[in-house]
Amino acid sequence: MSAFVEWRDVHKAFDGKPVLRGLSLGVAKGEVLFVIGTSGVGKSVTIKQLIGLVPIDRGEIWFDGQRVDRLRERELYALRRRIGMVFQSSTLFDAMTLAENVALPLRKHKQLRHAAALVEARALLERVHMAEYADRHPAELSDGMRKRAAIARTLAVCPAGPAAPGQLHSGPEVVLFDEPTTGLDPVSARRIDRLIRELADELGVTAIVVSHDPTSVFGIADRVAMLYQGVVHALATPAELRASPDPIVQQFITGQSTGAMETPGF
Amino acid sequence: MILDPVFEALGAAALRIAQEVGGIVVMTAQVVRALVPPRIDRRELVKQLYKMGNRSVPIVVLTAFFAGGLMTLQTGPFVKKLGATALAGWGAGYAVLREIGPILIALMFSGRVGANNTAELATMTVTEQLDGLRALAIDPVRFLIVPRVIAMLVMLVALTVIGDLVALTGASVVGRAMLDIEWSTMFHSFADNLRPYDFLHGVYKSIAFGGAIAVSSCYFGVTVRGGAVGVGRAVNAAVVAAATSIMLLDFFLTYLTG
Amino acid sequence: MSQRIANIGEAVVSAARAAAELWMVYISTLAGIWRAITRRKAGRGRPKGELVRQLHAIGNRSLIFIVVTLGFIGMVMTYEACLQLSRVTGDYSQVGPQYIRLVISDFGPTLTAMMLATRVGAGIAAEIGSMKVTEQVDALRMSGVLPIDYLIVPRFIASVVMTLLLSTVACLVMYGAGGLTAHYSFGVNLNLFFDVQLVRMRHVVMMIVKAVSYGAAIPVVAGFCGLRARGSSEGVGWATTAAVIGSSFAVIVLDFAISAAALFVTGGDL
Repeated sequence: MSAFVEWRDVHKAFDGKPVLRGLSLGVAKGEVLFVIGTSGVGKSVTIKQLIGLVPIDRGEIWFDGQRVDRLRERELYALRRRIGMVFQSSTLFDAMTLAENVALPLRKHKQLRHAAALVEARALLERVHMAEYADRHPAELSDGMRKRAAIARTLAVCPAGPAAPGQLHSGPEVVLFDEPTTGLDPVSARRIDRLIRELADELGVTAIVVSHDPTSVFGIADRVAMLYQGVVHALATPAELRASPDPIVQQFITGQSTGAMETPGF
Repeated sequence: MILDPVFEALGAAALRIAQEVGGIVVMTAQVVRALVPPRIDRRELVKQLYKMGNRSVPIVVLTAFFAGGLMTLQTGPFVKKLGATALAGWGAGYAVLREIGPILIALMFSGRVGANNTAELATMTVTEQLDGLRALAIDPVRFLIVPRVIAMLVMLVALTVIGDLVALTGASVVGRAMLDIEWSTMFHSFADNLRPYDFLHGVYKSIAFGGAIAVSSCYFGVTVRGGAVGVGRAVNAAVVAAATSIMLLDFFLTYLTG
Repeated sequence: MSQRIANIGEAVVSAARAAAELWMVYISTLAGIWRAITRRKAGRGRPKGELVRQLHAIGNRSLIFIVVTLGFIGMVMTYEACLQLSRVTGDYSQVGPQYIRLVISDFGPTLTAMMLATRVGAGIAAEIGSMKVTEQVDALRMSGVLPIDYLIVPRFIASVVMTLLLSTVACLVMYGAGGLTAHYSFGVNLNLFFDVQLVRMRHVVMMIVKAVSYGAAIPVVAGFCGLRARGSSEGVGWATTAAVIGSSFAVIVLDFAISAAALFVTGGDL
């Protein structure tokens, strides 16, 4: 079975310093895959490459049977309507309310009028349990709330093609999460985790999550890919990972500062 | 050679300027392409028009008033000495409509609206909101930049028209208050000596100025690098680029259209 | 209705407060200069590095910008004047003398200052603003240095000196560019144009007074805006914008005030 999303031997260097050195990774449809590793190992870069925010030097990236690493601008926009991304800093627009933020992709992609888009936006906010804050501005909310609103906005993205009238559209098929729980208090973090799991289970969304939060990893991941020195060092289920005899894996999951890992710069 | 460092510095500066000019040209092309066919986000456009207008009208009106008064102060005594008070309005008015008005208003606009716009766009870029837009499959050029460019252009032309009138008023007020030139004298000298073409000449200039200010303001906002420091530097660069373009454009337009 | 009055009242009060703060910055800057002079006299001076750096930053780097922009504007002004004259009298004998009088007493220093307000004013506000939001200003205070002394005083001195020097250069450039334009576009005799018979001491004095005032106003306004920056990148952007507007407007108002005052002093003979 060929993977739904696949990186094949991807290389990427910044300013002459190699970051990704032949990364190969396959993600199955509908699964929740976590990408973990130390800071600076290239996790965010990897997922940004999927939607063309960062170019690759060498290698190929495939999605749903199509090669996507060399797309032109217009094709990239079509791709980004099938693969959404939630950034680490939530990137909501400060000048708009939450509802207006979520309504934005609805207006643009489905050509809805403002009022109709707002109605659907509120429904999406309801799904992430943020409906009561729909008319607030991002600056008034906590980080955890902003994250959830950002997820709602990403869900508002929809693939090209007409929508049946009145039908709550089908959102993106894949959602990328860049460190969704970093900086959140434990309670908010678990809520985000549960939301991601719900998206996968109820909507069939394929979730690729960059994280270094062990509780999230062992809480909701189907599989885990650990990046180390520019390649996928380990790819397994959380249980297998925990039982792994590999010292590098063990050092990361138990959170030791010294051990077999080479940590440049420390 | 002793002049080597000077040449190096000049060369580096020339390269940097060439790069910036190139980038601005590219952005202009992108904006023009997005206008054909014109599918602009109307809500954004209206929002920008309102915001920019609101912000700039008071300062432009004040500036225009003073500028007009200043011109009268400069030309009035000379005209009075020659006994040609009938020409008082001509001296001040001509300069105001064709040069001082459009340039000064454009400079003030660049400082108030242009700089602000660069700061906003730069902050959005630094906080990844621009990447966020791209990830939502929304083109930042069409959604953010084009409405702002159009709004700035329209606003500057409108402000130049208003400002010209205010400047003429300022010229008259100062003429009356400080040089004892009667209202009617001023008014008649405006009407007799200033032609509609003089007025339009200034308006044409403001269109060019508006375009230059708008595109360079957006360009420097979107290409910002670094955090808070980068934002300040971007605003600085935008304002300097706008001022330089205004002067250069003024030169070329004056020569080309006489 | 009463809400309207309250709003206006609020605006007036905050404007008055801002004006008072601005004045305080100006006075503190002068006090800082005095402190620096007395310190040097007492032999406890700090090395001149900062002042020299500011002189270089403001002067050297603005030179080409000023020469280019003012050269062009000088050409345009002469062109317009000659164009208008060609329609009315056709007599170009007064263009040169009147032009140089205006350039020295008004346009030279004022346009230079307007350009510097954008270049230097924005730069100062951006630098000081980013220092403020990254808490470096607080760090300065805690190590016993008054921000005014370290940040604004050197820029103040440098700006006054450089504005004066650059204004002089600008006057020369404008005069030269204007003359060339008049000659090549309208056939005006160069000797006829380059005739300084109308220039009086009072014009030169006005130029110096204006240049010094502008040079003093720009860093004070820009520094003031920079020190008031709050928040992060937004605050810096806001501070820079305010500085450009504030210093440009200050230049215009000062120009008007000084010209009007000169008019009264000389009894209507500019």
